[in-house]
Amino acid sequence: MSVAAADLKAEAEAFLIEEGRLLDAGRFDDWLALFAEDGFYWVPAVPGQADPLNHLSIFYEDKSVLAMRIRRLSHPRAYSALPVPRTAHIVGNVTAGRPADADVDCECRSTLMVAENRGGDRRLWAGQQMHRLRRTEAGLRIVLKRVDLIDCDAAHGILSVPI
Amino acid sequence: MPDTVETETLRGLVLPDRVHRRLYTDSAIFELEMARIFGRCWLFLAHESQIALPGDFIRTRMGREDVIVTRARDGRIHGLVNRCTHRGSQICSVERGNAGGFACPYHAWTFGLDGALNSVPHRQSLPPAFDIKDPRLALAKVPRIESYRGFVFGSLAASGEGLRDFLGPMTDVIDNFVDRAPEGEIEQAGGIARQEYRGNWKLHHENANDTLHPGFVHESSVASARADQRDYAAPAYDGHQTHTQMLSNGFGLREWQGVGLTGYASGHTFMGGFYKAGVLAPDRDDPVWRDYRARLVARHGEEKTARVLGEDRFNNLLYPNVSLNAQYQQIRIVQPLAVDRTRVLAFCFRLKGAPDILFHRAVRFLTNLSSPASMILSDDIEIFERVQTGLSNPAPEWLDQSRGLATDRRGTDGRVQSAGVSELPHRAQYGAWLRYMTEAA
Repeated sequence: MSVAAADLKAEAEAFLIEEGRLLDAGRFDDWLALFAEDGFYWVPAVPGQADPLNHLSIFYEDKSVLAMRIRRLSHPRAYSALPVPRTAHIVGNVTAGRPADADVDCECRSTLMVAENRGGDRRLWAGQQMHRLRRTEAGLRIVLKRVDLIDCDAAHGILSVPI
Repeated sequence: MPDTVETETLRGLVLPDRVHRRLYTDSAIFELEMARIFGRCWLFLAHESQIALPGDFIRTRMGREDVIVTRARDGRIHGLVNRCTHRGSQICSVERGNAGGFACPYHAWTFGLDGALNSVPHRQSLPPAFDIKDPRLALAKVPRIESYRGFVFGSLAASGEGLRDFLGPMTDVIDNFVDRAPEGEIEQAGGIARQEYRGNWKLHHENANDTLHPGFVHESSVASARADQRDYAAPAYDGHQTHTQMLSNGFGLREWQGVGLTGYASGHTFMGGFYKAGVLAPDRDDPVWRDYRARLVARHGEEKTARVLGEDRFNNLLYPNVSLNAQYQQIRIVQPLAVDRTRVLAFCFRLKGAPDILFHRAVRFLTNLSSPASMILSDDIEIFERVQTGLSNPAPEWLDQSRGLATDRRGTDGRVQSAGVSELPHRAQYGAWLRYMTEAA
């Protein structure tokens, strides 16, 4: 691995770890700020889903919808998020590369595991995630975060916070 | 707990203005519901587009039964119970597909798309009396299957009223669904949303036409959308539609009062539409809609098109297992799993001949309303689970459903109607519940 490639991987890994920490700390506004203005958050509903427009998703939200989701979490009567679930994210097996697209500077893939607890109910979310990141003056920003859960097509209970 | 519940006891559990908590918590009552409601009523099984080709199959549930809905080589549709007649194994483990028949994984008994037993291995070790054509060796079949304009229903009762009589005046919802397609056909597409909650199945249906709850249960999503100051005049994606869907639950009580409610003795109920703004409004005027409307006029003419698009009804429940939203191309199926556990499946349709963007909006509608991450339905589900938990308390015994009782208006065709904020749908649903539960077998 060249020095540049190793640097990119280290930078991406640090970004993913920080992203998970923000979610674990419930700092959702700071997490949202990691998204580019044209960024999307996507959790497909079937394995290998090709398209978010012609097939339903668990989440497919642009920044405006994500902002509404996050605002809702702090509402005193957001019943399905009372209490807001506590999570522990762990990110591993990180790879990073430079895609050919002009508007993205880094595409990184990783394996994600998230333990979630809400009112004593514990769940484990796991899957592969892909981040397409753009370098800005403020740092790396998310153009697309895609999480492919291993059980994306199973019947689930409520999911109120982003994974 | 008794094995069964006497009819006289059942009669004492449903009164016009209240129902007993046992309807939601008693597993003996749940078992009777599976036999007398889900075992008798016409249940929505599939849409014909899901089993368009010979050999196509899709699985569903009919009360307790795991059912494979198949299209045979001759085009006929069958409902087969997913249980080998030999040693009882499930014979089909995938949700849908295309096959020539079904081979049991255990000892390779093979069955046709019509359920007939076609072959068994090592015939010479079976007694001479073993007759492969014995109907008892064929897969158990759903005795009655009927379609109405592409919507396939089945009944586990060998006799009883036909599908048309069961649907009654609600056939107009299916008509409206199909009439919205410029080519006169609809097809299921875009995947199936699956969700489970820890609560009784009836909680879903009560809530779907309850116009008092949105102001409270959905307050957080309404407030969150209201606080969004973004200009959606030219949305890059469809934050606009999500925004509109969340805002629409923000009617005041006076506006909800204007949303009509209708119920029938059959338990079928519906409410008026309440998406009045933006890309979801019945009288919307955007380039996509104008294009679509012109295509519909080409099929139906102006007068009928205005009538079809003007039909503004929401959550049309065909009691007990399916709810239709024609104008947003949505369908939701409710599958009871146990007295306190329910699965909800939802999917949407493509209107053949309509612009692609209209289908994208239907997909968006489905994701917004029926994904486990829905910011709207998740709060409903949370409440269902809290009701189920609350009802585990032995007392008080009764749930009140008297709101609007004094102002129900009885129409000539058996319909009961009311202004918006009424528990009329509850009363219609439980009236039907009691009738099915106490009718002689």
